[in-house]
Amino acid sequence: MYKWYALKRILRGVFMFALLMFLFSLLFNQVNERTQRTQIFEQVKLESQKLTNMRSDQMEAWRSHRLDQLIKQYKLDRPMLERVMFRAVNTVTFNFGKSTVIKSSRGEQEVLTILMEALPRTMLLFTTALVFQLGIGITLGLKKAQKPGGSLDKSTSFVTMIIFGMPTWWLGMMLILFFVYFLKLFPSGGLNSVPSPQGIMFLVDRLWHMALPVLTLVLLGFWGLSFVIRNIVLGILQEDYIMSARARGIPENKVLFGHTMRTAAPPLVTIALLSFLASFSGGIIFEGIFSWPGLGNLFWVAVQQNDIPVLMGDLALTTGLYQAGLVILDLTYGFLDPRIKVGGKA
Amino acid sequence: MSLKDTAYRFKEFWDDFRREKAGLVGLGILLFCLLVVIFEPVFLPYKDVNGNWRNISYWEDNTRAAPPVWTNLFSAKKSAVTVQIDEALVKEEFTKSERYPAGIDMRVYSFEYEYKYDLAPVDIILRTVADGNINMDIDVIRPDGQVVYVGSYTESGMQNTSLRFSIDTEGRSNVMNFVRERSSEFGINMSNTIGVRPTNIIFSELASDMFRARTPLKGTYTIRAKVPMTTLNVAGNNVDDVMLVVSGRVSGILGTDTSKRDLFSGIIAGLKWALFIGLITSIISVLIGVMYGIISAYFGGFVDTSMSFIWEIFVSVPVLPVLIVMSAIFKPSIWIIIASLIVFSWVGPVKTVRSMALQMKEETYIEAAKALGAGKWRIIFKHLAPLLLPYSFANMALAVPSTIIFEASLSLLGLGDPTIITWGQILHDAQSSGATLNGLWWWIVPPGLFIAVMGMTFAFLGFAMDKILHPKLRTR
Repeated sequence: MYKWYALKRILRGVFMFALLMFLFSLLFNQVNERTQRTQIFEQVKLESQKLTNMRSDQMEAWRSHRLDQLIKQYKLDRPMLERVMFRAVNTVTFNFGKSTVIKSSRGEQEVLTILMEALPRTMLLFTTALVFQLGIGITLGLKKAQKPGGSLDKSTSFVTMIIFGMPTWWLGMMLILFFVYFLKLFPSGGLNSVPSPQGIMFLVDRLWHMALPVLTLVLLGFWGLSFVIRNIVLGILQEDYIMSARARGIPENKVLFGHTMRTAAPPLVTIALLSFLASFSGGIIFEGIFSWPGLGNLFWVAVQQNDIPVLMGDLALTTGLYQAGLVILDLTYGFLDPRIKVGGKA
Repeated sequence: MSLKDTAYRFKEFWDDFRREKAGLVGLGILLFCLLVVIFEPVFLPYKDVNGNWRNISYWEDNTRAAPPVWTNLFSAKKSAVTVQIDEALVKEEFTKSERYPAGIDMRVYSFEYEYKYDLAPVDIILRTVADGNINMDIDVIRPDGQVVYVGSYTESGMQNTSLRFSIDTEGRSNVMNFVRERSSEFGINMSNTIGVRPTNIIFSELASDMFRARTPLKGTYTIRAKVPMTTLNVAGNNVDDVMLVVSGRVSGILGTDTSKRDLFSGIIAGLKWALFIGLITSIISVLIGVMYGIISAYFGGFVDTSMSFIWEIFVSVPVLPVLIVMSAIFKPSIWIIIASLIVFSWVGPVKTVRSMALQMKEETYIEAAKALGAGKWRIIFKHLAPLLLPYSFANMALAVPSTIIFEASLSLLGLGDPTIITWGQILHDAQSSGATLNGLWWWIVPPGLFIAVMGMTFAFLGFAMDKILHPKLRTR
């Protein structure tokens, strides 16, 4: 049953996420604790400044008492394994604590707020790009597969190889150089102009700012996609049932979209989502080039400001999203592949 | 498998490979890159760039943010090119100088500089290594016979000390005096001297309003450093290694950055690291991946299940974010970076190799080997690995570009190893100095282009090998 398959897959995804969080908190245990201790000291110092009607020895006693209390609260006095577990559980439940330097746009220091502010922006950018990439990639891939070895197939495959090792962020730098410095057509970065316009102009302004980053992602994204789609479709076109469909006189377009695409759908979806995940994980720092204040840019800022809690929270959220992507991938695959739906083996 | 078999299989592979044009191009570029790495000193304009990339004083004679030399071809006004003259013409003669108007026996180090451009150099720098007490007068003889006194040096108690005389900073007032003596009172009063470099004056024709309107004076200039023989004859006083650098407005094959570093040297020096990081990481990680897949398939059962689980953990990790956080916290050296790249990139070939090995272990020749008493490891290493490894060669080649990009991305964030030069680090410096918004294209285009060309090379190789090793993908 698909229901059970889905439940099993989701549970496995959650388990994997929890396991990774445990491994991360083990790996980064030392630096996490150092940051937490500094934060506790800062907090106690801040609180003690508010207490005015105390003698110095009273103050000292109060301070050490408060320190003890906080250290107990954050379990810093417990054995190492317990501390690691405590932090892992905190991360899994999205309890990231407070940042050291970075603030959200409203000045809050909750890491979760900062992350949730950045997440929709990243999603906006990458999903817009994905839509374009899929459109161009599938069309081009089918065209390539129809005439393998033809001039279109050869030339686009050649371009695919040329841009194979091109970093997204470098293309972004080049586009900024060309469109911003030389042609002065687009803004160099950011989410909106300052001050941002109202109403319909706000949308236009946002699109104007999105143009270059999306262009960068699309320009590099669809080549590889179309190449893989070509290979999948080409493999299916060589099957016997396609030949028999053609022999029966079914129009070529129907063969392509009715017969071939139905069989190609599961691997196609896999490839599309995988390439989305890859560009998400690999292209994440390209946001920094465009100062697009999403999750990737947050990595950049957190590294520069040495803000460990934000860095950790960002890592956890990115890993979580990546996990979710992998789960969705398997779920759609199972949904499209009838063998899994009826309970057989893929 | 014997050596003969291997040679035969290689020949068979080569016969197929020869027909892949893109593969041959890739191989050609790769061989050329290897040649460049081996003969690196021949290609490097600045021989000691390795280890001196972040040493500011090593680059101080260069011009800041100078475009490449070949941009002169496309501009109407030609800019002076950076030249270094190592050998001085040494003469001993009786001559006058600013400090000895009556004339005295001097040793004269002279350099001839041919000026045939429209825009004057930025600076002229005289370098020497001296001992004891030395005084030195420096002047320039122009093609029109005028002598510009630029300054003098008096230094005592030196022991193998490097002296540096920059006309731009130390000769300013003397050169301004030169103009004041020759141009009209009105012309000086009418013009302002802001933005006028001493070299602008030296390399233009005499006129009443030299500060404002200048026409270049082309011809041979002689730059002289004069040391009185009376000081040189004293024991312990010595002048050595006199050399001259003319810092032009354009410099080198790829220009300089805002820290005056020669970018071409940086890129050539970065090539070996890109190749090294890419190749070593992909080879080791693919080897690990192949062995992992074979072992997992061959042993089966509990071993297979647990190994697949570990594999699944590694697949679920978003590599770049984890690498960023790890490098930000541990500040690793390049070796640790390579090691962690390997840790996260061996997962690639495992699945395919495992399924191929699952089929292979049921073949009759494996059964025969077992019947002859071959152990597990003998079968794995002697019978399975040699047959499966060639299929992963394409994986190896295709894994190189992503490895190079990973390292470059880390460096772009400023997390690279500061003791080496990589293209990503050059791009990091460019990004943090705002090169894109200031139009310093020669700083941004080449490093990224080289990363892309490296990726292209290995993509050519990888796709060509893929076609040969997996014939199903061949176009009909």
